[in-house]
Amino acid sequence: MDFYLGLAQVIGVHTLLGLSAWCLLHTGQVSLAQGGFFAIGAYASGMLTTMAGWPLGVALPAAALISATVAVAVGFPALRVKGLMLVVATVAFAEIVRLVCFNLTWRVNTGSGPVGPDGSLGFGGIRYFPSNGWSSIEILILIWGLVAAVMLALAWFDRSRIGTLWRAVGEDEVAAQSVGINLTAAKVSAFGIGGAIAGLSGGIFAHQVTHIEHGNFTILLATFAIAYPILGGLASLWGTVLAVIFIQGFLIEGLRVLGDWRSLLFGALILLVMLLRPSGIITSPIGRWFARSIRFDRPAAPTTGGKTHA
Amino acid sequence: MLELRQLSRNFGGVKALDQLDLSVHKGEILGLIGPNGSGKSTTVNVIAGLYKPSSGSLTFNGIDLSQRSTHERAAVGIARTFQNIRLFANLSVWQNVWAAHVVRDSGWTGLRKRWLASGRTARDEVQELLAFSGLAGKADVLAGNLAFGEQRRLELARAAASGAELLLLDEPAAGMNAEEIDELDARIRSLRDQGRTILLIEHHMELVMAVCDRIAVLNFGRKIAEGTPAQVQNDAAVRGAYLGAEATATT
Ligand SMILES: Nc1ncnc2c1ncn2[C@@H]1O[C@H](COP(=O)(O)OP(=O)(O)OP(=O)(O)O)[C@@H](O)[C@H]1O
Ligand SMILES: [Mg+2]
Repeated sequence: MDFYLGLAQVIGVHTLLGLSAWCLLHTGQVSLAQGGFFAIGAYASGMLTTMAGWPLGVALPAAALISATVAVAVGFPALRVKGLMLVVATVAFAEIVRLVCFNLTWRVNTGSGPVGPDGSLGFGGIRYFPSNGWSSIEILILIWGLVAAVMLALAWFDRSRIGTLWRAVGEDEVAAQSVGINLTAAKVSAFGIGGAIAGLSGGIFAHQVTHIEHGNFTILLATFAIAYPILGGLASLWGTVLAVIFIQGFLIEGLRVLGDWRSLLFGALILLVMLLRPSGIITSPIGRWFARSIRFDRPAAPTTGGKTHA
Repeated sequence: MLELRQLSRNFGGVKALDQLDLSVHKGEILGLIGPNGSGKSTTVNVIAGLYKPSSGSLTFNGIDLSQRSTHERAAVGIARTFQNIRLFANLSVWQNVWAAHVVRDSGWTGLRKRWLASGRTARDEVQELLAFSGLAGKADVLAGNLAFGEQRRLELARAAASGAELLLLDEPAAGMNAEEIDELDARIRSLRDQGRTILLIEHHMELVMAVCDRIAVLNFGRKIAEGTPAQVQNDAAVRGAYLGAEATATT
């Protein structure tokens, strides 16, 4: 039973992470920085509850806000690159965050001994849930409550005017600019909102596992984040949820006997979906776009946008 | 309303635009014609802000456009269609028009407008534009799934939805059949009657001659003639460069 509860928690956390990448994909941005925003949320919320003694209900929104702020700061320089270069730049960012986690040592003394990040040993003792007597079920309900809230918000958002503008930018930047859409505003706001969601999921993750370290935030996590909405497609939020259930529930947990071969399987699966179903399991536009944009020869849109032929 | 002065644009050694002077007057339909590669699309792209001019100036209603980015030019009232259609292919027909419409209602002014809106809402306006373009029944179809002629109509509707005073239409009739061209003719006129100004780039001479108030002719990036359709048709330089060969080929 505990196993399934734990798995359901993991799926919830990863769903939030996938939804954060979903936001960026909408504007046509393939970001591998989501793992970094997740890490920032994890460390920030953990430090707030353990070192500053904040309640989780305040620490989580604060962590989301901090991640969003960093994401906006990353979003501006990220405007200058797209396609494969954006992937590379965001990987670099995530790696910097991981190294900061690796080196961050900041311990303070509380009644129950020293707490805080301890460099390469990680950051343990994030025991808000146990010390406040939360059961696994209650944690699970909190996680899925957050998932539901974020999904509702995104579903509403997707139908709102800004959601339409995001999608328009993801479809065709030149056409979007030409009808008056401000690319900077669209892309940076997607970074901000995606960063907030990633920070939130990192925050809940830190408290769920109670011990976090740089090894939690590797490139694999970022790959998962982007793989969910790509596999699930952007047409519907449910695609992302299903993709998380499939990857975490089946591929990672169900096939545990395969050990490290699962990573290979995961990679092969992504390739297969790209080739066979570029629009995702559920079908969607942006997978196709992604398959196209990952090629080197794709010209940068604004300079050739109006190039016409007889 | 739009003034191009000594506007040049080079691509490597190619002078796509060579010291072009062009004025578009408010409320007119100005045709811009010329052989393939004469710089017509380049003109549109420079006006819309996708290309920077190599030299020269362009002003719109007294605003120096060189200081404005592409989306700001849309905001001050310039919208365009693309020669090689660029719709938001995976958005619905309705969303394509909506996206162009909502940007003009965004921000603080938009919020105030929506609060004070008397009767006509943004949604009604989008619906009207779809009806105007003969796409009312296809509102929920993905733009990429439309027939070619419908895609052209949608692009025109999207440009109009941005509320622009000046519409730059880059070969809107390309690939259309005679019946569709007649409809386009009527649509262009009715847009003008609604107070829009239109710069029409077209190879389809019948349409150009019928609908335009004035015509400017480009050849190798230079303006070789300008005047009423009748004047241009009888211009020796134009006949030499363009109309003679084209007219016999298409009629
Ligand atoms: N992005 C570009 N890079 C290089 N050369 C370009 C570019 N855009 C246009 N040109 C060149 O500029 C010249 C004018 O092209 P333009 O597309 O403006 O012609 P056009 O009048 O629109 O022709 P058509 O009737 O075929 O559409 C051509 O020689 C073209 O090859
Ligand atoms: Mg052209």
